[in-house]
Amino acid sequence: MVQSSKRQLLKGAAAAVGAAAFAPSLFAQAGPVRIGYAIARTGPWTGGAQVSQEPNYLLWAEQVNAAGGLDVKGTKRPIELISSDDRSDIETCVRSYEKLMGSDKVDLILPPWGSNANFAIAPLANRMGYPVLAPTALSRKLVELKLPNFFLLLQQPDRMVGALVDMLVANGVKTVAVIYVDDLFGLENFSALKVALRSTSIQVVEEKSYPGDIKDLSPVLRSIKDKNPEAFIGLSYPPDTILASKQSKEIGFNPRFYYASVGTAFQLYRNVMTPAGAEGVLGMGSWNSKTSPGAKAYFDAHTKKFGGKEPDRWASGHCWAGLEILQAAVAKSGLDRKAIRDYIAGNTHKTIIGDVKFTGSENTATPGTVGQWQNGEFEVVWPTKVATAKLSLVKPAWK
Amino acid sequence: MSLFSWLELIASGLITGGIYALVALGLNLQYGLMRILNIAHGEFLMLGAYLTWMAHTTLGISPLLMVPVSFLALMALGLVIHKLCFRRLTVTSPNLDIFEARGLMVAFGLMFLVQNFASFMWGGDLRGYDYLAEPVKMGEAQFAGNKLLVFGLALLFSGALIALLRFTLLGKGVRALMQSPTGAQLVGIDTQRLHPLMFGIGLGLSGVAGCLLSMAYTITPSMGEPYTVTALIVITLGGFGSMSGALAGGLLLGVVEALGMHFTNPSLKALLSYSVFIAVLLLRPRGLFAK
Repeated sequence: MVQSSKRQLLKGAAAAVGAAAFAPSLFAQAGPVRIGYAIARTGPWTGGAQVSQEPNYLLWAEQVNAAGGLDVKGTKRPIELISSDDRSDIETCVRSYEKLMGSDKVDLILPPWGSNANFAIAPLANRMGYPVLAPTALSRKLVELKLPNFFLLLQQPDRMVGALVDMLVANGVKTVAVIYVDDLFGLENFSALKVALRSTSIQVVEEKSYPGDIKDLSPVLRSIKDKNPEAFIGLSYPPDTILASKQSKEIGFNPRFYYASVGTAFQLYRNVMTPAGAEGVLGMGSWNSKTSPGAKAYFDAHTKKFGGKEPDRWASGHCWAGLEILQAAVAKSGLDRKAIRDYIAGNTHKTIIGDVKFTGSENTATPGTVGQWQNGEFEVVWPTKVATAKLSLVKPAWK
Repeated sequence: MSLFSWLELIASGLITGGIYALVALGLNLQYGLMRILNIAHGEFLMLGAYLTWMAHTTLGISPLLMVPVSFLALMALGLVIHKLCFRRLTVTSPNLDIFEARGLMVAFGLMFLVQNFASFMWGGDLRGYDYLAEPVKMGEAQFAGNKLLVFGLALLFSGALIALLRFTLLGKGVRALMQSPTGAQLVGIDTQRLHPLMFGIGLGLSGVAGCLLSMAYTITPSMGEPYTVTALIVITLGGFGSMSGALAGGLLLGVVEALGMHFTNPSLKALLSYSVFIAVLLLRPRGLFAK
């Protein structure tokens, strides 16, 4: 009896020591996964960031946590988002990420908004070994940096304007006029457009750049109207996309094909131009809720959570796809960032926007696309294999 | 280029210039009269724009009805801000130069406060609505209804302000105040009342400008700053304190920009505006229309 109780005491002691030694790590494993990011909540980038990006981070964290947490190689752990406002300022953005990765030592990071900010943080994240899946970076130069930890989810300029030029050629367009914003986005897209047009018989009747804070495009649009091109191409950001559209309506400039870039796929565009006014306008867009059942579920959840605010039909979907990829990578590889990087780089991923596969930094599985407003919905109309609706060939008059 | 195209181009420049003038009027009243360089002027314009957007999209109130409402709301806000900040500065500053420097600091503070208030209240999303955007045909040319309205009201407000300053006793008092604050006090002008009133009217005018601009442009909490810069250029062109100068300066800048953008490139717009600005500073430092 004495013997057996002594043995039990020893067993108990051993168990207690063992528990004391291992429990902290067990508790740590059940603790939250800390995911950091800085994004524009104030300043000029906010319009894009708060439509295409941050709402998705919030929705994703909420959905994952409601389902018990993020699957980290079989263990469910809650997501803790550590975020701050980058004030639409490159320096603040870079410093925020330095802090997140350097002193806060977060487990993972999510990217900031826009080509410029991503360009600034990409080398830093690469050096610190954090994989980044960027949904709003559009720059061939970023691809050419060949950063092993950096992945671009959007179709790059040559693919997007390539699809547009294909569509124009297929519909017998002979003349185009181009305006472009004079920053990295506008310049790269414009040069990609020039390259794509070189192998066609399409003639550029007017090309003009403008600054991002432009308040009046009517003098340029009036001179373009005088030249009567069959297609208008605006390589523009949301405020100027809307400005150009409003002013084209004002002066009665209504070519057969009217294309504007970022912001055309936003709900705001339909609100400001009205559904009838937006009818037939083309733009950068690559998915909508008809693209896949997952896309529909995402669209509905987003609209519900944010009181009717819809995701945009381009970068929002790519952002969600990036989060899907990251979630799958963590489930497979845990929080080993090198393993996450290898998983992202080495697989074809099934997402709401279709297959995503990276060749280097570039997503080469998603084709360049063209979208068009039709009856209040932004439909994918080109190329036909991913189209959600048929291209409407003649734009009705602005209403 | 045909005569018609010329006219159309100049008309579109005049319309933009009218907007510039409207934005500059309020700032001119504050700086020209009281030496308050209100760097936050554009932020109050933004408040006027948000008030109008909110009233129109949530309550269905016509943006046109919001013109007087924005004026009164921002004027009331102006009276409060004057009482809280600038009256105290007037009392504690030993001379006008120190008052001006301190006022500038306060205005910077107000700029951040108001901008962050708007971000907090309405978030940073782009906002906008469709109102009077239908083109109005004038001969062969056509212009948006809302722009013509903005232009018309800009002329109306400038005219009213010029008439007020020139033909009324109140205006006489204000002009006296512009020429010599101490002299005005000596002849019995109640500067204690006139100051807040004029500051209030200045802010009220920025509210009107914001209300009108929201009909034609998208709005964000950061929309105000560029307008403050433009307003500064315009009042320098026209001469500090001169309302007719601000109107003429605004229209001139609008036309120069329109012609410049047509014949060169919109990317050179800032270069054009600043060239005009620097030329005026060098050649006519007291303003193009100063007597």
